[in-house]
Amino acid sequence: MMLSVKNISKNFGGIKAVDGCSFEVKENTITSLIGPNGAGKTTLFNVISGLTAPDSGTIKLLNKKINNLPPYKIAQAGISRTFQLTKVFKNMSIKDNLLIANNTGEDKMKKLLESVYLQKPLNTTASELSYGQQRLLELARALLKPHSLLMLDEPTAGVNPRIRQELKSILKRLRKDGKTILLIEHDMDFVMDISDFVVVLNEGKVLKIGKPKDIAKDKRVLEAYLGK
Amino acid sequence: MILDYFVILMTSLAFYTILVLALNLAVGFTGLINLGHMVFFGIGAYTSAILTTHGIPWYFAFILAGLLASVLGTLIAAITVRLKGEYFAMVTLGLVFIATAISRNWISLTRGALGIPGVPDIIRDNFYYMIFSWAVAGLCILFLYKLTNSETGKVLQAIRDDETAAAILGKNTYFYKVLSIAISTFFAGIAGSLFAHHINFVDPSVFDLEFFIFVISMLIAGGLASLKGSIVGVFGLSIVSEAMRYIVVSPSLIGAVRDIVYVVILIIILIYKPKGIFGKVDV
Amino acid sequence: MPSLSILPQLIVNGLIAGSIYALAASGFSLAYYVIRFLHFAQGAAIAIAAYALFTLSNQVGLNGILSILLTISIAVAATLLMNYAVYTPLRKRKATGVILLISSLAILTFTASLIRALFGPSTKTLLLSKHNKSFDFGLFTITSIQLAIIISAVLLFLLLWILMRKTRLGKAMRALSDNKEVAQVVGINPEKIYTYTFIIAGIFAGISGILIGLEQNLYPRMSVIIIVKGFISSVVGGINSVPGAIIGGLFIGLVENLGIWFLPSGYKDAISFSILLLFLLLRPRGILGRGMRDDT
Repeated sequence: MMLSVKNISKNFGGIKAVDGCSFEVKENTITSLIGPNGAGKTTLFNVISGLTAPDSGTIKLLNKKINNLPPYKIAQAGISRTFQLTKVFKNMSIKDNLLIANNTGEDKMKKLLESVYLQKPLNTTASELSYGQQRLLELARALLKPHSLLMLDEPTAGVNPRIRQELKSILKRLRKDGKTILLIEHDMDFVMDISDFVVVLNEGKVLKIGKPKDIAKDKRVLEAYLGK
Repeated sequence: MILDYFVILMTSLAFYTILVLALNLAVGFTGLINLGHMVFFGIGAYTSAILTTHGIPWYFAFILAGLLASVLGTLIAAITVRLKGEYFAMVTLGLVFIATAISRNWISLTRGALGIPGVPDIIRDNFYYMIFSWAVAGLCILFLYKLTNSETGKVLQAIRDDETAAAILGKNTYFYKVLSIAISTFFAGIAGSLFAHHINFVDPSVFDLEFFIFVISMLIAGGLASLKGSIVGVFGLSIVSEAMRYIVVSPSLIGAVRDIVYVVILIIILIYKPKGIFGKVDV
Repeated sequence: MPSLSILPQLIVNGLIAGSIYALAASGFSLAYYVIRFLHFAQGAAIAIAAYALFTLSNQVGLNGILSILLTISIAVAATLLMNYAVYTPLRKRKATGVILLISSLAILTFTASLIRALFGPSTKTLLLSKHNKSFDFGLFTITSIQLAIIISAVLLFLLLWILMRKTRLGKAMRALSDNKEVAQVVGINPEKIYTYTFIIAGIFAGISGILIGLEQNLYPRMSVIIIVKGFISSVVGGINSVPGAIIGGLFIGLVENLGIWFLPSGYKDAISFSILLLFLLLRPRGILGRGMRDDT
């Protein structure tokens, strides 16, 4: 098992952002976390990557306990992630952004950039890129960092349609390559198309776990999304 | 006479260069707004002054000035670098006031407000002392050039831009921030030692805010995260400072007018050209 | 150890010093609460007020009331000038709080140097202070100015409390402090409220400058010395709580003066700075403060 999340809870000033969540991510699969706004998806991401300490529960990566480790150790243990609001090193060049992830040669970097459709010279400063291009850079950085699990927080949010299409095709290719991915995504058609498993969160709790086709016809899921 | 003036000025530019470059490492490259930088300069100056006036050889005092500043800097950084930006600035500013209080009141060690006169020359001949000072400054420039272009240097800059992102890429940001302050305070201490042996005197005024404003003006004028900028900033503002001697008629006014001019320059830069001359980083 | 009989006097001295710190801290703390930056230049406005009173009453020879009113106006004008000339352009280009802090420190040293250039480095005494009377209560003595300082600090505390809790302006200030974006959405104009904040801070600076000038001598670096204590008081009292500054001031004043019981008086500053560091590291929210901002 790549990732196993057991009974994770997190309170913020009395509000249960995550309330006893358990789920698993199998190797070589894409697992998507879906749910309405405020369901606790991003909090769960932050808990898994160590940015937010959980109140209770355990998280295992490849059967090793990783909760209570500092974020950098979790990263070293093999988790690579992106953020809903892109975090690039804005005063640094594309090359230096990638170098922080993994000190590889320029050729490898250029190939990687090509594969994520970012056609910019390596010495371009990140702040000169558009927001969509910064997302691509962030994705490239996450891919370059050695990892066994890739966590993507709404990769297609806030970018123009062309880049959105590019991101989708990158994800499809990653799926073909057999990557293990935990994904937060709002575009339902895309989620149903690309995911092996879907975890539905609502008000901090896991509502349903299943294959996309089972999720799509679940009554409770529809209610959670549409409201009663 | 003119040569003498030039030599003395150039010597002071050497330790200012070291001091400003060291501040740039913390503030410009790592994003740690250390408002207590002068504390470590002062520790270096006092260490050198106290040891050499008690007969300890200068080279021992010189190295110890850097090491002591760095040890204290590392300890302080170890407890404070986790604080968010503004709180880190507040704590380090608090250090300045504590250093002032200690230097004024620990009379048996520092002679209080009287200061320590008679700090011996390292090299009697002013010209050779200038050469020595610039040799030290040269080593500092070289070291910082290598450091900031190394992988470690890139990690420091990554932390400045986005600490969370650096952490989730597997970097122990706490360690790197402490390291940055350890190196920065070492050079501040070395600069303090050069200063003490240059003017042969140390008193609590090394901790005055005016002095710090002068130093941070040189840094910001040159531009954050640019070594070249810092050197240009030191030379530029020092030339302005020296020019005051000829523009201001009354000698008793020179100090005050100088401080006023630095502030005006600093604020104009902060408002209109926040990146400074060669800076790469927005402030 | 000194005899117990001086204890009442030490407490009174502590209250006097604490009230002075509280006066200095009040405007500083208000500016932090509303605008979210460390307005060290409040010390500059206090020194400007003290020297304005010196010029008006000692040199021009205006009568007491008139020179006091003019002094307060000058302090307000100086504070507004700082805002328009320095802070507003910096806020416009979205400079960080730390940059505003550095510029504020720069204004502080600027004023100290300007005063040194205009008035010379020597200390000055306000002629108005010759009306000062001393009252002997047996256990302790206190002067009329010192009484005025303590009463002013208490009044400021009440005024600030009423301002923040009972007035529309106070509500707008709290809204801005809580969340600038949301405050703007409900129709609060931040720049307008900031101007009011600086006017109030200027009035506080005027009153503080007058009282501190009457109690102590005037010297160019008084701006720095005073606001450092104001800063410590604000942090210790709780930098997110405006009345906290007054509590912090009294606390620091009392501890410093009672500390003389154990340590030579030269260590007064060291005592308060150590308290500052302890608070910043162990309880950054201060005595009264709630949680602190973490997005700076």
